[in-house]
Amino acid sequence: MLELRLVQGSLLKKVLESIKELVNDANFDCSSTGFSLQAMDSSHVALVGLLLRSEGFEHYRCDRNISMGMNLNNMAKMLKCAGNDDIITIKADDGGDTVTFMFESPTQDKISDFEMKLMDIDSEHLGIPEAEYHAIVKMPSSEFARICRDLSSIGDTVVISVTKEGVKFSTKGDIGSANIVCRQNTSVDKPEEATMIDMNEPVSLTFALRYMNSFTKATPLSNTVSISLSNELPVVVEYKIAEMGYVRFYLAPKIEEEEEEKPQV
Amino acid sequence: MAQSKTLNFMHEIQSLVGDKLQVVSYKWLSRNYMVSSDEAKRILQEFVQKHEGGLEMVYALSGWLKSKDPIYHIRLVTGPKLAEAQQEFDGDCSVQVYSVQASIPKDPASLWDAEFIQAEELFKQPSSVDNCLRDNRFCGISNSFVRRNVDGSTVVSAAPLSKSAVREGPTKSNTVQQSPKNIARDSIDKVDAKPQNGIKEVKSEINGIGNTVALDNINKPAEQKEKALPLPTSKKKVPADKSGSVAGGSLASFWSRASAKPKPCTPLVEHNNTVSNPAVSPEKAQTACEEECDSGNDDNHNVSFRRSSNRKRRVVFDFTDEDEDDVVSLASPDFPNKQSSQDSRQNDKNTSEKTTLNFDSQEENKSRVKEERGTDQKAHLPLRDNVSAISKCTNTGKSSSEKLHSCASEPSVNEDTVNKAHPCSPKKRKVMKTRIDERGREVVEVVWEGEETGVKKPDKVTTKNTDSKTNAANSAPATKKPPANSNAINGKGGNKKAGKKDPKQGNILSFFSKV
Repeated sequence: MLELRLVQGSLLKKVLESIKELVNDANFDCSSTGFSLQAMDSSHVALVGLLLRSEGFEHYRCDRNISMGMNLNNMAKMLKCAGNDDIITIKADDGGDTVTFMFESPTQDKISDFEMKLMDIDSEHLGIPEAEYHAIVKMPSSEFARICRDLSSIGDTVVISVTKEGVKFSTKGDIGSANIVCRQNTSVDKPEEATMIDMNEPVSLTFALRYMNSFTKATPLSNTVSISLSNELPVVVEYKIAEMGYVRFYLAPKIEEEEEEKPQV
Repeated sequence: MAQSKTLNFMHEIQSLVGDKLQVVSYKWLSRNYMVSSDEAKRILQEFVQKHEGGLEMVYALSGWLKSKDPIYHIRLVTGPKLAEAQQEFDGDCSVQVYSVQASIPKDPASLWDAEFIQAEELFKQPSSVDNCLRDNRFCGISNSFVRRNVDGSTVVSAAPLSKSAVREGPTKSNTVQQSPKNIARDSIDKVDAKPQNGIKEVKSEINGIGNTVALDNINKPAEQKEKALPLPTSKKKVPADKSGSVAGGSLASFWSRASAKPKPCTPLVEHNNTVSNPAVSPEKAQTACEEECDSGNDDNHNVSFRRSSNRKRRVVFDFTDEDEDDVVSLASPDFPNKQSSQDSRQNDKNTSEKTTLNFDSQEENKSRVKEERGTDQKAHLPLRDNVSAISKCTNTGKSSSEKLHSCASEPSVNEDTVNKAHPCSPKKRKVMKTRIDERGREVVEVVWEGEETGVKKPDKVTTKNTDSKTNAANSAPATKKPPANSNAINGKGGNKKAGKKDPKQGNILSFFSKV
């Protein structure tokens, strides 16, 4: 028996909106610690990790660990039927083949039940090692989304380089090239507008902008985004979910092949 | 039969009154068990006779009062006060059991509670369902002038009615289920309900005073009902249409022109691109050439040319997935490039010799190229009709005129001429490569080259551009790739798909191991 009551139902809506573009089907794992998901995109380039800790729910009952395979698009469709202020309750029986989403309006005068069929999904759970990242950039999520959007209109890849000066996003395309440098800026009034760079050593990595733009679908979840970079490791783009968890996107970098280019020049 | 039925009722009433402490009135009984009110009264009477102890009865007395002005009076009295109340009536009065209950309620209104809930449920039933309240079938008093809804066909609806009545237990859950389903119906039912009430009042008037004016009033609610009735039926129809696949069809019938056109249009557009484009594009080129001849203005025509070539490029995008060969052949000119730049220069010389035009500066070449392209294509028009293989190699640039000869004479050399023609580009700022593939589609590529760059770099630029044009989705990765590499990708038929299967893109599985 599973029963999770989330007062801020809009969070779940936003979470689904943020990951459904990247992942079609995924297993939601429920345990006593929380509600989590890990899934790769179809091309195995990016990985999504979601965690909603049990403390964040008003009521959290999970008798035994349960994994529910869902089509995220279908789930998003159902969650779209919930109002932004609605209380969402997720209910499932052990061994059942459906999950029920219950939406209660804030005034309790409207209660909707949506039952969704579950599916069997073969998923490989990946172990993500704890790593010391060479550089961690915290910046306003909207700013990051803007940069990714802008750069994707010029090129397909973005080179993210972190130096003492700041973090540089650059791209090259047919029509030209672009460089955007964000300097460390902690002196603003609002902490969510600050750009903080925590760098141990300079990093420069190349990523496909297509995926970065998918990640920025999570922008509504959090005011700030943290980008953790390490050479030869996937970048981690993390959006915190209101004190109760996070959505993390991992993206494998593009492998540089500069030596092949040299003879040409 | 009747006996056993009555016995059943006795048990039911016993449990209702004894266990559920419900007030069982003859009205409720009549509606709930679908018996006439007289029958219900009789049952209650029997029940009272059998189980007198431990129960409280309310009697209904009706008769003329002992007063100066005779008034017909109906009164409810409890058992103990029955005899006393009977005294007030003049002569004989009818005494009937009104209700049976465990105890006399403090609030007399609670006598009606069960009845009221029951009546409400009956009113809430869809107006199409004929129930005992609507047709008044169990009432001892009826008026032939009152027209009931549902055409008064009580006989027909008798069967569904009993069903609905059975389902319509005293529990309220039923109404809760019903109401959200069709609010519209509910409201209509309410409208219905009011006239019903009206009729009742009117009836009581008739009964009491015998007022004939009431007839007018009776007709009114009936009319209202009739008005209200068509509504639900029409509402039923609409969702029925929607649920069926007819919905699209009905929209189409509303906007037949608008909806009919776009559908065939989209395939048509594509069709044009694929099939008619090659036929049209030479004409375009022709007109462009004529314009060029009229005015020597370079820039304007550059623009126009680029546009036309853009369109043709689109053709390539749409179909590169299918014809991988095209992609390969598009990129193939790069190989000779790398082999020797000497070749290209020679070729350049050749072409410049062969073309009757003089090249004073590289700047001028630009326009020349275009002019020649135009003339070239003009010349090629008849050729295309004859041999598609010839047109396949249609190339612009200085070499075009050379190709004219070669194409006409020996089509098999075409590939080479294309390749040779390509290297001559370093000296130009802009080169257009036109090619007709096996399917008769014209492919034009526009390549920009920097004047100041050396011989080798332009080569790279050209390859880049070919990549970017064939690889719509993957242009940026291609820029970094050496020509050989990019060819390989093109050979795979990558294009849009190549964006996903980018060899440079790392796999997340190579970083994280499976648990």
